[in-house]
Amino acid sequence: MRIEKCYFCSAPVYPGHGMMFVRNDCKSFRFCRSKCHRNFKKKRNPRKTRWTKAFRKSAGKELTLDNALEFEKRRNIPVKYNRELWSKTMVAMKKVEVIKTKRQARFIINRLKKGKELEKAADISEVKKNIHLIKAPHAGQAKQLEDKMVQKLAEDVHMDE
Amino acid sequence: MALYNFKKIMVVPTAKDFIDLTLSKTQRKTPTVVHKHYQIHRIRHFYMRKVKFTQQNYHDRLSQILTDFPKLDDIHPFYADLMNVLYDKDHYKLALGQINIAKNLIDNVAKDYVRLMKYGDSLYRCKQLKRAALGRMCTILKRQKQSLEYLEQVRQHLSRLPTIDPNTRTLLLCGYPNVGKSSFINKVTRADVEVQPYAFTTKSLFVGHMDYKYLRWQVVDTPGILDHPLEERNTIEMQAITALAHLRSAVLYVMDVSEQCGHTLSQQLELFNNIRPLFANKPLIVMANKCDVRKISELSEENQKVFADLTAEGVTVIETSALTDEGVMQVKTEACDRLLTHRVDTKMKSKKVHDVLNRLHLAVPAKRDQKERPPFIPEGALIRRKAMETDTPKRKLERDLEVELGEDYTLDLQKYWDLMNPEEKEDKIPEIWEGHNIADYVDPEIMKRLEELEQEEELREKAGEYDSEEESEDEEMKEIRQLASQIREKRKLKILASKEKDKQGPRIPRTAKKVERATLEKEMGDLGLDMTDKDDSHYAQRSRSLVRKRKREVSAPPTSRTRSQSASRPPRDQSGVRDAKMLKKVKTMMKSSQKDMNRQGRKGESDRHVFDLKPKHLLSGKRKSGTTSRR
Repeated sequence: MRIEKCYFCSAPVYPGHGMMFVRNDCKSFRFCRSKCHRNFKKKRNPRKTRWTKAFRKSAGKELTLDNALEFEKRRNIPVKYNRELWSKTMVAMKKVEVIKTKRQARFIINRLKKGKELEKAADISEVKKNIHLIKAPHAGQAKQLEDKMVQKLAEDVHMDE
Repeated sequence: MALYNFKKIMVVPTAKDFIDLTLSKTQRKTPTVVHKHYQIHRIRHFYMRKVKFTQQNYHDRLSQILTDFPKLDDIHPFYADLMNVLYDKDHYKLALGQINIAKNLIDNVAKDYVRLMKYGDSLYRCKQLKRAALGRMCTILKRQKQSLEYLEQVRQHLSRLPTIDPNTRTLLLCGYPNVGKSSFINKVTRADVEVQPYAFTTKSLFVGHMDYKYLRWQVVDTPGILDHPLEERNTIEMQAITALAHLRSAVLYVMDVSEQCGHTLSQQLELFNNIRPLFANKPLIVMANKCDVRKISELSEENQKVFADLTAEGVTVIETSALTDEGVMQVKTEACDRLLTHRVDTKMKSKKVHDVLNRLHLAVPAKRDQKERPPFIPEGALIRRKAMETDTPKRKLERDLEVELGEDYTLDLQKYWDLMNPEEKEDKIPEIWEGHNIADYVDPEIMKRLEELEQEEELREKAGEYDSEEESEDEEMKEIRQLASQIREKRKLKILASKEKDKQGPRIPRTAKKVERATLEKEMGDLGLDMTDKDDSHYAQRSRSLVRKRKREVSAPPTSRTRSQSASRPPRDQSGVRDAKMLKKVKTMMKSSQKDMNRQGRKGESDRHVFDLKPKHLLSGKRKSGTTSRR
């Protein structure tokens, strides 16, 4: 029993789910749900359909080249069962999973950092240009100006005298 | 080949039927209507067509009969002879000849009458000619009644003949009636021939098929032959003789040793010698049938001598019993083998063989040296062969286990696994964990790789890759963000508000619109300005539009008389009217004169406008009752 990968979106296909299509050249395609199957029938390229994992990896939105990812690999020559080896593998698998998720998360965070900076700059420029929509330029200064004017007039009058 | 067409001969209709068929066909398939006043060529053509059509039909049908029935010269001599025996060659040929003559006569009749029709000058004449032509053709056919009946019977019988292939391997059974030929054929093939105690149960040839050495063999059962000279033989016996004469087969002469058939052994031997010439060039086997009743060894001396003589001459004698199956297989194999060798011999002697032989070449490798090279059988094969022979099962099979345990049995192939630690054979192996296949991770070197990975991870952590950067944003930045979000919100609201304005049609310019003091103060207040105490500002002063107009004074009355008269003039509808009665009458007159115009929807006397110059209800539709003077 194996969990296969959907050909189109690379989602896990559990036993008893999805559909398999076998072509005349003996290549078989598994699909996790009819959405992927229908897209395949429409001859859409998974590498260009934005919501699939294939697109994300090919467009560099997700971690592709990493040692942690090399652990899970389909091997053509099965290894004979050995209790010790299997238990060690289970332990190792869990650890590798932890490291893998950490690295994948870090990759995405790094990718999104630039966005934050752009946001900052946009905010600053927005405020600089359009502050007049929420606050008049001399909002709290009217009284001050008036006082100043009064003072200046008083001074002038005083000068004249 | 003609062999197979016996079933495909078309039905030969009786003379009456034939005539009816053709005439009705003529009536249906040719035009039926013709009148006196048609042009003469048309009438002639009409009747000529009928004559020709009838002639064509007769001709076609008769030709078909002639071609369907086999020509005795063209088919295999066996069938030719058989048909001669059954139907009399002369009669057959005569019948077909008559048909042919009839056909030609009909053609001639038609030709003549068509020629005559060309000179027919009225409908009556042409019609009579046609009647004459058709009548003559039909009488010709009526005369063929006997031939047609005979041919129909021949056809029916012919289609029921068994399909005997004269060229393939055949075994022919012959002998006196009731000796056991039909029983033998029933035993050896799937044929189901009637077996009865009276003589001449089998009245015609029967064929059965059997398989031997991957080949198909025909077994032909014949009716019994009695011992008289050829001339005195009846039809049934003649069929057997024909078969014997023409089929290249192995002959099985069946003798009844127990003499239950009603004829003594010597009589049977007589017959055998009489028809011996027919057995020339055919492998012969004598079957001493009914040996379950009496064996040859139980016979008297002289009878035994008979058989001994036969064997001495080189004829194989085999004791059989169709009832107990004794010797039946032996006869079969013996006969088939001998026939095969005979056939091969004849083929070798024929001329065509050399064509094939010249092209065949058997290649044999030349001996290199004198060393013996026998075939090599490996040890394992020898052991296994020996094991097969001793017939003892060496190991316990799963099947045996299954049978033993019955319902408790479960197929557990894991116990046959070849593992490094055999005690792990019964482990339940995990396959999936959290959406991953464990088989994808299994690797003998996994621990080493895991160590490397962990080291790498440590290095990365040390380098600070995983440090979460605090959002080191000071107060100022936070304030800016907040302001920016407020600006964006305000802008969106303004856009929405402007979208709600109805901008269709001419617009009042902004400056002509009156701005309310309250809204102005509210807006400026939202922007942060201080709008209290603004009564003295320019926008709070009253505008000119609120100033009232001055009142006009009352004007002086007019002074001259004309002016005063005009002031006291009576209204128009009362001037010239004497009293109220007249006023009433005047009013009704006015109203009645207006009624008409109102009803017609006219504005006044001068309104001559026609709203609908061409009303649809008057100008459309069919001319039914009514006039059309206004169309």
